[in-house]
Amino acid sequence: MLELNKLYFTVPDSDGSGGVRNIIDGIDFTFDDGKFYVITGPNGSGKTTLAKLIMGINPVTGGDILFNGRNISALSITERSKAGIAYSFQQPARFKGITFRDLLMVATGIEDEGKLLEILGRVGICPLSFLDKEVDGRLSGGEIKKIELATTIAANPKLAIYDEPDTGIDLWTIGPMVSLLKKELAENHTTTIVVSHNKAFLEAADVVIIINSGKIVYNGSLEGAMPLLDDLSVCTYRNSCEGDRDAGCYR
Amino acid sequence: MLDAIDRALLKTVAELEELPKGAYNIRKNGKLLGRHVSANINIETNEEETGIIVKIKPGTKNESVHIPVILSQAGLYDVVQNAFIIGDDAEVTIVAGCGIHCGSPEPEGHAGIHEFKVGKNAKVTYVEKHYASGEGTGRRTLNPTTRVFLAEGAHAEMELTQIGGVDETSRINEAVLGPGSLLLITERVLTDGEQTAVSTNTIVLKGAGSRANMISRSVMKGNSKQIFYATIDAQNQCYGHIECDAIIMDNGTNETMPSLKAGHPDAELTHEASIGKIANDQLTKLMSLGLTYDEAVNRIIQGFLK
Repeated sequence: MLELNKLYFTVPDSDGSGGVRNIIDGIDFTFDDGKFYVITGPNGSGKTTLAKLIMGINPVTGGDILFNGRNISALSITERSKAGIAYSFQQPARFKGITFRDLLMVATGIEDEGKLLEILGRVGICPLSFLDKEVDGRLSGGEIKKIELATTIAANPKLAIYDEPDTGIDLWTIGPMVSLLKKELAENHTTTIVVSHNKAFLEAADVVIIINSGKIVYNGSLEGAMPLLDDLSVCTYRNSCEGDRDAGCYR
Repeated sequence: MLDAIDRALLKTVAELEELPKGAYNIRKNGKLLGRHVSANINIETNEEETGIIVKIKPGTKNESVHIPVILSQAGLYDVVQNAFIIGDDAEVTIVAGCGIHCGSPEPEGHAGIHEFKVGKNAKVTYVEKHYASGEGTGRRTLNPTTRVFLAEGAHAEMELTQIGGVDETSRINEAVLGPGSLLLITERVLTDGEQTAVSTNTIVLKGAGSRANMISRSVMKGNSKQIFYATIDAQNQCYGHIECDAIIMDNGTNETMPSLKAGHPDAELTHEASIGKIANDQLTKLMSLGLTYDEAVNRIIQGFLK
């Protein structure tokens, strides 16, 4: 459903030499319909950049992106959204004077209170008072991530991209979040791409993709990915657990 | 009695489709157009005949007063001095507003000077909207002044909005707060083209336990310019906060000067101020939900000035 053909994203070198650097370095990959993909890899490897290229937030430098057979490489963010791609930001925007209800209405075009409440039920947000909360700086990190997830799901996308959805979410919420994304995939056939290091997401994946230095260096099962994840020292906390293999995380 | 232009102006500044129920005073081109009083709310012309005195009886609950002003006479600069005396324990909503329709090259303007004396434990909600329209090229000026005196335990919430079309405005808001009183001011100003707006606010926290929150939201389109001054002068144990945000569009400019004066060791004063373009992450988020760039800009501004 989504094909990446020789995809490049290039930026000027930061050393002032006038050269360029490939953040995404010629990626060829096909995402199949209705599967759960988790993209992982070391910090700075290009995971978020790739996700943003698919949504059109970063412009493609070279190569093509085909979405259900249509070349979307030159389409705007708006056009890609209308084509059925939705994106959940790692650091969601905060707005003064715009409420959760407003965002849901933009995402769905629905104004009917009953239908909006149905969506809240579907994404597992309980208190109704949440609907009229302003999406501003007063929300906690966890609250705004729930809102971000909800607007993405409410848009009923064919392809949903979640960039580090567990940032700012407490440990007890991650399990239900994984279940929610799996349920959306099962019920609505939403092809799902999650950028994450989190064990819970990696274990839920149909396909784990490891990116390193802007290239896909592995795709397949989590089991097969383990030796490489160890080698790449994906974990940024390795020093604190002293590399203990049984620390219970796959970071 | 009301023509089509009057109706359109009244709808915009006072959300009135017809003459309101309850007390009202409508002023058109410097003259009284209609007045209605109620059992608890009296309206009379002041001695100097420069404006009205609105008296709300103590203990009045859930009543409202509409006092819109409309202008459509070329060359007129209408000055009015109104006083509001709100009795102890009363709860009232006052809807003011001025709409200018300019159909000629002659200037038109209005200066509404409003003084509020809010009695003990009384609650007043004051909503004021300013707007100008019309195909004429005459300069439209609106210079409102609001002075508020809050007695012990009084509560005033003021929403001051200038929606558009006003070429020049100098807004003055002053307040003196008694013990345990609360003042919330939200001012929203949108300017465009070559328009200018200056807002000068002085809040004196005089009584122990008084609290004030001043919120300002400004949007500058075109080459317009806005200047915002806000001073909280704390003379007792009290709490005060100023929050001023300005969004610059096109080539608009802004100067924002929040100022805090603590004249008492137990005064707690804070402010936050920001000036800048619409944040990119906000635009990207709304576009990722299907809005075009222009729709996203409008949605953000609409929310910001809501």
